[in-house]
Amino acid sequence: MLHKLMTKPHDPTAHEPTADDAGTDGAAIVPFPVDAGRTEENDSAAHETQLLVRVRDQRDRNAYQALFGLFAGKVQGYLRRTGIDPADAENILQDIMLAVWQKANLFDPQRASARTWIFSLARNRLIDIKRSLKREYAALERYSLETADDQVYEEDMLARAAGGKSVALLAHLPPEQASVLLMAYVEGKSHREIALELKLPIGTVKSRARLGFQRVRALLEQAK
Amino acid sequence: MSVTRHPDSAWLIDYACGNLSRGFELVISAHLMACAVCTEEVRRAEQLGAELLFGGQPAAPKLTAVDVLDAEGGDLSWLTARFALRPAVGTTSLQAFVDSYLDCGLSALPWRKAGRGLQVAKLRADEHERLWVLRAAPNTVLPRHTHAGSELTLVLKGAYFNGDTIYAAGDLEDANETTDHQPIVTRDAECICLAATEGPLRFASWAPRLVQRYLGI
Repeated sequence: MLHKLMTKPHDPTAHEPTADDAGTDGAAIVPFPVDAGRTEENDSAAHETQLLVRVRDQRDRNAYQALFGLFAGKVQGYLRRTGIDPADAENILQDIMLAVWQKANLFDPQRASARTWIFSLARNRLIDIKRSLKREYAALERYSLETADDQVYEEDMLARAAGGKSVALLAHLPPEQASVLLMAYVEGKSHREIALELKLPIGTVKSRARLGFQRVRALLEQAK
Repeated sequence: MSVTRHPDSAWLIDYACGNLSRGFELVISAHLMACAVCTEEVRRAEQLGAELLFGGQPAAPKLTAVDVLDAEGGDLSWLTARFALRPAVGTTSLQAFVDSYLDCGLSALPWRKAGRGLQVAKLRADEHERLWVLRAAPNTVLPRHTHAGSELTLVLKGAYFNGDTIYAAGDLEDANETTDHQPIVTRDAECICLAATEGPLRFASWAPRLVQRYLGI
């Protein structure tokens, strides 16, 4: 699957703004100051961050609803791709989105953008679940697909997981570096586990991760 | 505190992905308390996570914003001990951070002698990893050893040399199965380190091996 993803031709539309970016789900979107020097991508990240700051400082329910509209589907998609079943994913999503509302006081835009902060909340919730299951969860076949509801994720799961902008981000990397990063981020495997699975020395896996990360870092900086 | 020795950024990626076991995660977390450089690297790794994992096809949850806003209370205990609540770099001492993790002072740990000038307290041991605190008197020469797997050692207090390299408070030594080393504590102060290892240490001489068997390190 990884190979298939990596050999996919670069999608020139990947940088186009999508409905997600614009948040066209009917939620109240609050205007923000236009900065002519910025890209669409920076603008949507800045907009998200501004919404979260309003949630934090003013307990602004409209700003929260807008943020929810922008992120709930993405967080849920992330949870589902890690292999969590749909019913559990709803509960976990609620935990995460509740934390966004109740713990917004912990958000510091100097330290992270809203999307990075929400990602780290979601990741923390997943770690907690993994540990409370004592790694039984990790042993589950993450992509075992049984229910009809899972059909949408059945084909080319990793390509979807790393769809759109993300594919564009990793398309700049040699396939072996992109694979290691996808296994770490999407499949949740440690470098040690990846080394065992690919039958490579741990040092090789680490240098692939490091080199791949260094290359995408420059791109991330532009999107900061 | 000026930190000069950092882990391979592969560790920071694993940390950002949530793929580390508890002991290694604790050692990295403690290093981040003292290190702005690695904290920024983790932020970038989390940013990549957000781009990769939120960038895929979104799901259509039934949950609405109003459900969340109307929910009374809710259990957020999963959040409290986590690094989302990590204090900003430099605002908490390493010692205070580790004490709060241990929920006791270092003096209350179950210390055991492990050779001349060296005491160890094992905090965790399972099939994947071991976590312990090492406390060595000034000038102590630690047994020369190699590793069966990865070892991360964070200096909490004092300093030690390994060859020409000095590791001082906040510095993290990133060793693995290819590393053969013999730390020597500096002469001015005792040295306290927090260390996580994947496999048992392999000491180069027979005497520490007996200690190793006895202590289970």
